[in-house]
Amino acid sequence: MYQSIKALKANRLKTLLIYLSLTFSISAIFLITSISNGVISMYSSILKSDGDIIVTQARISDTFFSNVDINIISKINEIHNVKKTSAIIVGATPIEHLPIVAVYGVSNNRFENYSLLSGIYPKSNEVLIGNSLRESLQNKDFIAIANKKFKVSGTFESDIGFENGGIVLNIEDAGMIFNKSASMIMINTAIEADTNKIIENVKLLSEDIEVKSTTSFVENYNQFKIIKISANVISVVAFCMGLLGVISIMSLTIHQRQSEFGIKRAIGIPMRRIVLQIIQESSVLGLFSFVSAFFISNIILYFIKNSTLLQGYVNGELTLSLTLYIFITTMLMVTVGAVLPALNASKTDPVILIQGSKI
Amino acid sequence: MIDIKNVSHLYGKDLALKDINLSIKKGEFISLNGESGSGKSTLLSILSTLLKPTSGELGFDGINYQDINNIDLFRQKNIGFIFQFHYLINYLTVKENIQIANEKATEAEINEILSLLNIYDMVNKFPNEISGGQRQRVAIARALINKPKVIFADEPTGNLDSKNSQNVFDIFRGLALGGTSVVVATHDKYLALQSDKIYEVKDGRIL
Repeated sequence: MYQSIKALKANRLKTLLIYLSLTFSISAIFLITSISNGVISMYSSILKSDGDIIVTQARISDTFFSNVDINIISKINEIHNVKKTSAIIVGATPIEHLPIVAVYGVSNNRFENYSLLSGIYPKSNEVLIGNSLRESLQNKDFIAIANKKFKVSGTFESDIGFENGGIVLNIEDAGMIFNKSASMIMINTAIEADTNKIIENVKLLSEDIEVKSTTSFVENYNQFKIIKISANVISVVAFCMGLLGVISIMSLTIHQRQSEFGIKRAIGIPMRRIVLQIIQESSVLGLFSFVSAFFISNIILYFIKNSTLLQGYVNGELTLSLTLYIFITTMLMVTVGAVLPALNASKTDPVILIQGSKI
Repeated sequence: MIDIKNVSHLYGKDLALKDINLSIKKGEFISLNGESGSGKSTLLSILSTLLKPTSGELGFDGINYQDINNIDLFRQKNIGFIFQFHYLINYLTVKENIQIANEKATEAEINEILSLLNIYDMVNKFPNEISGGQRQRVAIARALINKPKVIFADEPTGNLDSKNSQNVFDIFRGLALGGTSVVVATHDKYLALQSDKIYEVKDGRIL
């Protein structure tokens, strides 16, 4: 290991190039994965709050287009072990200079999910605004949605970026803006309840609804699948870029150090030891690059989270398991990337050392 | 100790060596003398197991080279190399360069060889901090650390002045007296005269 570190120090420029190539690739994987996870996590958190079961319109491509009759709530509440039922309309609108702001029209029993910083919960023709949205607004007393003026009744704070940068109003007002009854209905069940049985009972209430457990809904939600696939594709591209960076620059280094490996072969050092040395060098670089990428990603995520431009909608989630997953990916990248150059190095023909191969 | 019989070697269609027969005994100091392109370096490469001949037989202490399972280990234990260029690793100290050939070499063993070659003071220096003659001696020390039975040197004085060249040959003479066989490929006839035997190589044949 000591010799590997000395070899890296001796080839500073190429070491730096590999380090930078790896750091950029790993940072890209960190950022794209954590941001996509963050987006999924934020939306999932909204769905999971007070919701063991989700009711949406049947046969629609996305919940954004869902329209469920809110009157079904009274029938759902009659089902055994249903504890609480709430409704929500999810929409978006431009406000002032902001091109898109999330709008949540909620039933009265969902207001308590929004922690008030100031003011009161909204009545008719009033809205509650998220803390991060408030910072971006010029007029903090009134806002216009779809040519209708709403009084700001208060400010709330939420850990969920989508909510913190959004607007909450009562579901009747939202219904008039978006011309629907409810995007979805969330059912909270008793702890001892058989969720599947309740789902079956709710399904019987209408043919126009689709009923799923929240977990199943989140797992099968098309938008999440698209986000995950996109993130994975970008991560694979970043992985390949890093891998190619390691292979190409490492190969150049190996070529430059041909006499070093030639002399090692001549004096009988086994091929596996040469392979191991190159992989060790690559792993040391991988480790340093990983640590650097981790800190760089955290700094970037901090700025993204606090950027008023992004209204808190982009919020990376860097968990321990994700960090571990990326560490394993990094070590895989540097090991696989080093194998080919290492094998080439180990196969250096020592005869080249004799009169510079002019035999 | 080393016997080769009817060894020939081709590079593609070009004949580099033809029907070489040679015997090297323990403690013998041999020079392979010839012009550039004569085939002496090819012969040295074959003798030292770096190159497999196209045809012919090679034996080391009665064992055919083809019967040796682990050629790396065989080279490590029995053969020392010295090249025209020292091929020291620049990022390692003199001591570390020697340890590359034998990780288990003790401090005392390294110091003993360095003292013998009169470069003990250079032990912690890097190759770029010492002179050309000293570098070649470090390369000799690296070749000796495993106490090989035979040393192969390819134009070992090619980059040295006459004084340092003579020093290197004096070292070889001392090694041969101690029982180590030494085979040197050189085009310097004056230096070659100091060996026990001179094999003149021309057009791939021993004259």
